[in-house]
Amino acid sequence: MINPLRSEGDAFRFLLYVIVVFGSIIAVILIARALS
Amino acid sequence: MEAASIAHGAHDDAHGAEAHHGPIEANHSSRVDAPTLGMLLFIISEIMIFGAFFTAYFFIRVAQGDPWPAPGTTIPVAVAGFNTAILISSSFTLHWAETSIKRGNRFGLRAGILSTLLLGATFLFIQINEYVHLGFAPRDSAQATIFYGLTGLHGAHVCIGLILLSFATIRSFRGHYSPEQHKGLNVPGIYWHFVDIMWIVVFTTVYVM
Repeated sequence: MINPLRSEGDAFRFLLYVIVVFGSIIAVILIARALS
Repeated sequence: MEAASIAHGAHDDAHGAEAHHGPIEANHSSRVDAPTLGMLLFIISEIMIFGAFFTAYFFIRVAQGDPWPAPGTTIPVAVAGFNTAILISSSFTLHWAETSIKRGNRFGLRAGILSTLLLGATFLFIQINEYVHLGFAPRDSAQATIFYGLTGLHGAHVCIGLILLSFATIRSFRGHYSPEQHKGLNVPGIYWHFVDIMWIVVFTTVYVM
């Protein structure tokens, strides 16, 4: 993924990618916090 | 010198009307067109601005080890979560507008861009309303300063995005876009998705973590 912002479509797909990655990271952190 | 001018004249004669005068033509990338490249470079500079604000935020929380939010204050996570859903929805409606015009569906374009504009305006209205009811001011603490700094910087970007989207909305209703030519929707669209991505980062760091 050299340039994810070549078009609106590419930028939208990048947004979905960010939502998934961020959601996963936050979920892991919140679960780790709840367990500790 | 004279020989050179003679040679130059011969060169002009050889090419006739195609002879080029003045400065050489600007180079155009065959991979990325100028408006998209301009937006990309602008977004890179925007990331640096947000980076400076996040540096202040992490300095307070990590280097300084201060509690977040400041003692005696609360941040409305539920309201911000609802607002996050609104902003993410606006990216989907914008994508709907773009895919619609690619297929020549003008109703989809107009409905999509108008709902994006309304969702964006709702986000901004809720954020302003949140500021009114927070009960603390930017000067009250370092945490309050960076809270208003980060969310306010993002709010300013939503405001700019709404101005760009309103241009695109007016042009959509005037029938300026076609399946072949809709760059005026594409480029602000990239910016709007960037504003959305930035909000996800701001929301998770400021409200969730």
